[in-house]
Amino acid sequence: MAAIRFLGLVLVLVTADLAAQQPDTERGRQVYERWCAACHAVDGAGEGPAAGYMLPRPRDFTRGIYQIRTTPGGDIPTDDDIMRMINEGMPGTTMPGWQDQLSRADRQAVLEYIKSFYPPFETMAAPEPIDFGRAPRVSDDRLEEGRIFYDSIECWQCHGDTGRGYGSSAPELEDDWGYPIRAVDLTKNWKFNGGGSVEEIYRRLRTGMDGTPMPSFSDLLDADFMTEDQLWSLAHYVRSLAPDRPPRVREVIRADRVEPGEVPTTVADERWDEVESFYIPLVAQIIVLPRWFDPSVDAVWVQALHDGNEIALRVTWHDRSESPHPNWMQWQERVLEVMEPREGDLDPAPRPDRLAVQFPRSIPSGMERPYFLMGTSDNPVYLWQWSSTDDAEPAQARGMTEIEPLGGSIASDARWEAGRWQVVLTRSLEPEDTSNRLTFERGTAIPIAFYVWDGDNGEEGTRGAISSWYFIYLLEDAPISTYVTPLMAFFLTGGLGLVVVARAQKRERALETASEGPDPTTPTGRNP
Amino acid sequence: MRDHPFWQAILVFIAAWILVRWGIPYVPPLVGISSAPVPTSVELQYMLTVLVGILIWVSDNEVRWKRFKEPIRNVMVQPERKWMRVAFLVAIPLLVAFVTYDTVRPKVTAPVGLRSVHPANPTSITVDGESIILEGLENPFRAEGRGDEAYALGLDIYYQNCMACHGDYLDGQGHYAHGYNPLPLPLRGGGTIAQLTESYVFWRIAKGGAGLPREGQPWNSAMPAWEDFLTVEEMWAVTYFLYEQAGISPRTWEEH
Amino acid sequence: MRYSDAVTRALLPFALLGLIVACGGDAPETEADDAEVEMPFDVATAGHLQGMVLFEGDPPPPEVLDMSSEPDCAAQWDDQPMRDLVQVSDGHLENVFIYVKEGLDGMDFPRARDTPVMDQVGCRYTPTVIGLMPGQEITFRNSDGLLHNINSSPTVNRGFNISQPVNMDTQRSFASPEVMIPVRCDVHGWMRAYIGVVPHPYHGVTGSGGSFDLRDLPPGEYVIEAWHSQLGTQEQTVTIATGETAEVSFTFTSEMLGTAVVPLGEPIYPHRHHAPHSAPATR
Repeated sequence: MAAIRFLGLVLVLVTADLAAQQPDTERGRQVYERWCAACHAVDGAGEGPAAGYMLPRPRDFTRGIYQIRTTPGGDIPTDDDIMRMINEGMPGTTMPGWQDQLSRADRQAVLEYIKSFYPPFETMAAPEPIDFGRAPRVSDDRLEEGRIFYDSIECWQCHGDTGRGYGSSAPELEDDWGYPIRAVDLTKNWKFNGGGSVEEIYRRLRTGMDGTPMPSFSDLLDADFMTEDQLWSLAHYVRSLAPDRPPRVREVIRADRVEPGEVPTTVADERWDEVESFYIPLVAQIIVLPRWFDPSVDAVWVQALHDGNEIALRVTWHDRSESPHPNWMQWQERVLEVMEPREGDLDPAPRPDRLAVQFPRSIPSGMERPYFLMGTSDNPVYLWQWSSTDDAEPAQARGMTEIEPLGGSIASDARWEAGRWQVVLTRSLEPEDTSNRLTFERGTAIPIAFYVWDGDNGEEGTRGAISSWYFIYLLEDAPISTYVTPLMAFFLTGGLGLVVVARAQKRERALETASEGPDPTTPTGRNP
Repeated sequence: MRDHPFWQAILVFIAAWILVRWGIPYVPPLVGISSAPVPTSVELQYMLTVLVGILIWVSDNEVRWKRFKEPIRNVMVQPERKWMRVAFLVAIPLLVAFVTYDTVRPKVTAPVGLRSVHPANPTSITVDGESIILEGLENPFRAEGRGDEAYALGLDIYYQNCMACHGDYLDGQGHYAHGYNPLPLPLRGGGTIAQLTESYVFWRIAKGGAGLPREGQPWNSAMPAWEDFLTVEEMWAVTYFLYEQAGISPRTWEEH
Repeated sequence: MRYSDAVTRALLPFALLGLIVACGGDAPETEADDAEVEMPFDVATAGHLQGMVLFEGDPPPPEVLDMSSEPDCAAQWDDQPMRDLVQVSDGHLENVFIYVKEGLDGMDFPRARDTPVMDQVGCRYTPTVIGLMPGQEITFRNSDGLLHNINSSPTVNRGFNISQPVNMDTQRSFASPEVMIPVRCDVHGWMRAYIGVVPHPYHGVTGSGGSFDLRDLPPGEYVIEAWHSQLGTQEQTVTIATGETAEVSFTFTSEMLGTAVVPLGEPIYPHRHHAPHSAPATR
């Protein structure tokens, strides 16, 4: 009897399990339409209501083309491949991860539903993942070998010699749907769509990234042009173009003090190499009209020095072109054509690259600062404006569309090289006219913010990349008390210790001379 | 050594420290309870309490107290422990000097600002030239039972305009959220709009960061004034959508 | 045939570094059913179709290409590198893909045994239009010795994106009929080619005389389509009689430029193949 009941239970469990494994189309549809359709569209074709506000565009599921796979180029992905995209999202795009947001059953149901947009998933043979093997250890020789292959198989045609994505083919790239697509900046591996580890890079080299210009390199192995081991070297080399860890964001930029007259005023000055760099993320200006959802610059690195009289900032950012560049004109045309919302004047035109560094007009005493987006009519901000076609100049802004030069200029030196702008801006700590221009005080946190415009990406005016308020802190020579106080503390504590020890020893000797007598439980002295 | 009060005291102290530093943040998650690291100031308080407790325990009995002090006394007086004595006499003052230096050296830090997340709303606002009294105001879509319409309209508006900051999942993790300080607020969970009436949310949407009172730090907020982009009806629709999509209900006027 | 077979076969190591090899016959024929297919009609009853594609009006001037980034490619041109999207000689239009669109339903034809070559010389495709049967291999050849990628974006078939950084050959095939499959090189944005896949051998591409010749058609009535990458498509109905040669001519005009709808990725005989429902054409 018990055995029958047990069998029955097993039967019930097995049936329940089978039922759970059936693709739950209705559940998949509900999850999809609630959480995915705004971008990927109800019909799965990737043109949902929000799709125009993002580049790269959301995936079109109806063609069964997937970038990030473990299967050979041109093949459909495995379920695990699709689940990984759902779980982890795609860095560098607007696709977030859903692992902690949706239940496992919901994610499984939505996976099945997504596959149903491309019926061949049902009829085609199950895809075979490639056996990628294990990553060999990295070494200098391996990186050198990787560098040689980076040159010989011409990765630089799109990614550029330094990997910053500025190769000569970069302005023309389009995806399989005809949308403009950027060659990835290989020095920012935290933004790689399929992940930035050496293993993930190797997978992309083997499988290619279907739907994009990135081809598969597996045929080169088959043709004996290179070995798997050499392709691993290339993956290691590509990995080595990015830092070990993504940069950390810190709220305060430190301006160290150097000897008077020692502030470097040129971009190429080697002294900058010794100065700490502060990473400031930039994001799209999507707050005031007209907005721009696709800025090409996502961060600046800031270095700062002062010598008691002058302050110099070196601002570095990656930019694929020295705008205005004729080869990038058609890139601008294509980007302006596809990006929503269509606010403001979107005519393609030769536009320069620009940088603005924003300060308050005077250091605020409390927390209150001007509005972070270039101030307001009653509380304007002080700007340093630089452009690739003009000298740098000071300006005052009462909002993003109300900028007026203050007259005079800011000393500057700029260089675009290999996909990167570097601009040095120098000014005396104390301006001649203090009414609208900031006096840099030392030893206090001064609000600072950054704006970058990529002219060849159609950026101008309110269409650009912005930061929120950060701070810059000009280090003062440390007051003498900084060193005297610890020294005094050292001697005081040391002296006290000596006294305590001396007293303990004195008491010990006294006890020894008066020995044989006292009760052993009597306290022998004060606790040190 | 195991039953020596001095070493027992040291052991208890170290064990307590490990518990406070690592046990509290990392053990509860193992059984599914969320936790967080203990702030340094609280850690200091905990450890002081532990120290006082240990001292009371060792000194509450004369014999134990004497035994407790023995190793300390030995280091101070025994000739064969001379070098240990010298080491302590140098190391302890050095430690004190270092802590002092760390306290007095000039620090590169940002000023700390206190920001009020839900400042009091004005009694009325003007949108599109019309004065709207917020007190007692209901979402017209909800009041008229036009929820489906509001959801459909609100979904398009949200994912076109709000998602970049407030996120696909309304969790404040949009792809541009990291660029702002303060970070865009999550809309789901009990901490934000769940505590507010729809009229309050409507006010925040219509007037944005710039419309905040001073305690809300309007100069830092990246929230646009959506009256510049959307109609009154669209703002009510997206308000309705937020609650619906986040799976929460607005605070009603009766709850006040 | 199954798609995975096509890939497996295509991935076999054909290409040899630094050599231009004629396509070897070393592709193992694994599909017995394929080999058994015979002509589905008595060839003795066949008729033929001959024709001409004409162009009226002024063809657009050739586009001047900037190959300054690839001096090795530019050196292979006698003078300025150009791209002639509408190639006309003496009123005859070249690079028109001609095929039987309707009239052969239900007939299975043996797969063609030859392997056409699409070469890359001087940073252009030669030829730029090729017709294939499902499963028939095509060789992509890099004779330039610099990086090309061959990025096909079909709608019905599975695509591929091959990198060829050196002189090499790579074979691929398409499993299902589809007219037309665009092929591009992302490194050199001006390089575009088209592949038409039809489930029978009755297809051709017009050459310098603008003429085409489809031989050995079973007698019957057919819809013939002429496809051009810039000028769109035209259809004509013809009747083929045993032992006779029917003639047909198509005329494209300069007015069609810019207004023509150029279909890409359209399935042929959709009822016989698993095509995605409502698959959008390349936008």
